[in-house]
Amino acid sequence: MDDLALDSLKPGEGGYILSLDRTHPLRRRLLELGFVRGARVSIVRRAPMGDPVELRINGTDLALRASDLGGIWVRL
Amino acid sequence: MTAPFSAPSLPEMLVPDEQACRATLERLQAQSEPRVVVVGNPNTGKTTLINAVAGTNLKVGNWSGVTVEKREAQMSVAGRKVHLLDLPGAYSLSPHTPEELVTRTALLDESPDVILNVLDAGNLERNLYLTLQLLDFEIPVAVTLNLVDEAQEKGLNVDAAALSRALGVPVRETVASRQQGTQTLLETSLQQATLGVRVRYPRLIEDAVGDLVGRMKALPTLPSHAHRYLALALLEGDPSVRGRLSATGHTALIDAADAHLAVLEAQGTDALIEIAEARYARAGDLARLSVPQAEARRTLTDRLDGLALHPLLGIPLFLGLVLLVFRLTFSVASPFVDLIGGPLQDTVSGWASALLAWFPLGRDLVVGAIIPGVGTVLSFLPTLLVLYLAMSFLEDSGYMARAAFLMDRTMRTLGLDGRAFIPLILGFGCNVPAVSATRTLEHRSDRIVVSMILPFMSCSARLPVYVIFAAALFPKAGSWVVWGMYVLGMAVAFTFAYFLRRTSYPAEGGGVLLELPPYRFPAWKVLWKHAWRRTASFAKRARTTVLATVAVVWLLMALPAVTGQKFATVPPQDSIFGKVSQAMSPIFAPLGFGDWRAAGALVPGFIAKEVVVGTLGQIYLGEQAATPAPLGLVAGVQQAVSATWEAVKTSLGAVPTVLALPHLGTDTATDQKSPLARALAGAFTPASGLSYLVFVLLYTPCIVTVGAIAQEHGRKVAWVTVAYQLSIAWVTAFLVYRLALGLGL
Repeated sequence: MDDLALDSLKPGEGGYILSLDRTHPLRRRLLELGFVRGARVSIVRRAPMGDPVELRINGTDLALRASDLGGIWVRL
Repeated sequence: MTAPFSAPSLPEMLVPDEQACRATLERLQAQSEPRVVVVGNPNTGKTTLINAVAGTNLKVGNWSGVTVEKREAQMSVAGRKVHLLDLPGAYSLSPHTPEELVTRTALLDESPDVILNVLDAGNLERNLYLTLQLLDFEIPVAVTLNLVDEAQEKGLNVDAAALSRALGVPVRETVASRQQGTQTLLETSLQQATLGVRVRYPRLIEDAVGDLVGRMKALPTLPSHAHRYLALALLEGDPSVRGRLSATGHTALIDAADAHLAVLEAQGTDALIEIAEARYARAGDLARLSVPQAEARRTLTDRLDGLALHPLLGIPLFLGLVLLVFRLTFSVASPFVDLIGGPLQDTVSGWASALLAWFPLGRDLVVGAIIPGVGTVLSFLPTLLVLYLAMSFLEDSGYMARAAFLMDRTMRTLGLDGRAFIPLILGFGCNVPAVSATRTLEHRSDRIVVSMILPFMSCSARLPVYVIFAAALFPKAGSWVVWGMYVLGMAVAFTFAYFLRRTSYPAEGGGVLLELPPYRFPAWKVLWKHAWRRTASFAKRARTTVLATVAVVWLLMALPAVTGQKFATVPPQDSIFGKVSQAMSPIFAPLGFGDWRAAGALVPGFIAKEVVVGTLGQIYLGEQAATPAPLGLVAGVQQAVSATWEAVKTSLGAVPTVLALPHLGTDTATDQKSPLARALAGAFTPASGLSYLVFVLLYTPCIVTVGAIAQEHGRKVAWVTVAYQLSIAWVTAFLVYRLALGLGL
């Protein structure tokens, strides 16, 4: 039972959302897109220069910058 | 798959009050001209659906005050006149972009009678989030599951009947691209739409909502169909709803909401999270209910992205694609551009000369100003049409989002995000639509910075100037000069962006989020309509300005400034135009082109860059080009038909060659120089010609672009842009001229 920030996951790995930091710059938008407690999220790939990062949640592919993955906490 | 810890418990449902429901439905049935709004997430095929439903009734315009596209139609459905209004795609009703704000504002202010909610059948959970928000309005809802075919390919078979039972509103299935289910969609939606089952939020939140709704009932200025939505938005801390309510004098409501939030907070409840969790718990439940066995399949999108977003191949592939688009534009469109500017214009001029032979002054005005003016605008259209088709294809297929993903890291060094790359690419076609494309950026400062650097992206109107100078002065390295202009424009744009970021418009914080929608093959009909409409709207906007400019320049050139000369026969240097240009020319002397003729041709370019070449022609060639031989009707038709046939052949013949590598440096043979090129070769040195091109590249955007910037960001930004660019153009041209002289050019 490891609690990790999303930026420590590698492509192909995934976890279940635990929480979003209150200060996360995209908090409101991420909640609307389904980053709620218990949702399954996985890392699909990184862009050619390592950043941004493609995520899959609820069957949708989204890209976030690596720096914005820090405040998203997941449990494997 | 379930989470290994306690997920939010399933919320209960809230069945709408029976009386309220009946009253709403009666109102809908009694409405003689019902208004239907179409709402859905981006990438649900909504535009295709609207096209299929409304067909030729569809009118496309702009929402007032913003350059967000407004699609509406009036059509007769079962004896009633129905107003259909398509709202911009939105993920939620808490707006983050101007488009989402338009959608939310319309729901509050346009008092729709029915909401037609379009869902992507393959992505129910997220799409239902918006549905659940819509159900909080007192407006009847009808749902259509679009892209059913795509969902089935993914192995998702949605049970529309089960979804309809659970939501309490009608649910239809459509495949808009094949017009399946679209024929009767509007009629059944009007008949069956109703208030659906709402999410019941946790008790503390429902109590607060109840209190706020109670307060709103006493306030007649608030839209009565939106009380519950507004109460929830207040508790979610939606800044735009707060702003709107405080601007309309409802601060007491905001205070009440804040008091509730303080109480919730003290009890450890974060309303924003609780509301989102309750909606997603319900959306997930509904999705599971209506898609019994979902099996993940590796889709076409996954395979294509493996290539398009490949760590090594992704970026080269993207750059290759951009190059291909521009090569396609030039090689397919240029025979038609030459056709319109050359043989067709000559034919019409010939006819006009024959018809107006009895009235020389009128003939000169028509042949010397009106026909070239109209011809200039028309000759611009083939390029734009091909470019817009290609761009719409990349946009609608989903590739543009990948481009943003690929370019994000690069754009970040400028304090911009990957999405800003898209308007910049569009800028190569035409700056005007590119300025409107900045509205998809989230932050105002981003939109302004991109709009201000956009005019440095060399639009296709500037290309003819490069081409004629390249042919005149650089016969061996013409293509390199043209490419160099594009590269220089980008370099200046990026430098300027870097500077703006560190001075007037620092980056606003807030993360970056891109959706990578599934790849779709765009519907040709929609693409064609899109491209055609954009092109036509350009022609409409450009027509007046370009025609007026050419006419004014002709008049100024016809009016003598020296006594003893007669109207229309005055040599250019003695006309008013000549005198004004002569007064202005010393400014350009340090740049190597202090000649009044060169300086004079820049003036009309303020109004539209495509007239620079035309004016150069007027000035350098004078009467020689302005009086074509009179032409008979039959001979003219023969000439026009054979020229058109040649252009079609050349254009089709060019299609296979776009894949070949560009041959740089061998494309402009000296013996094929046009009369204008020969005249320019005599008037400019390579160094002064280069400096002139740099000035044309960088100086003030055309008036249509300035207008678009003013419309988007206000007059101040527009004028600042004009002033900045003039100075940058002068300084850069000066540097290039000195450098070229130093290199011995």
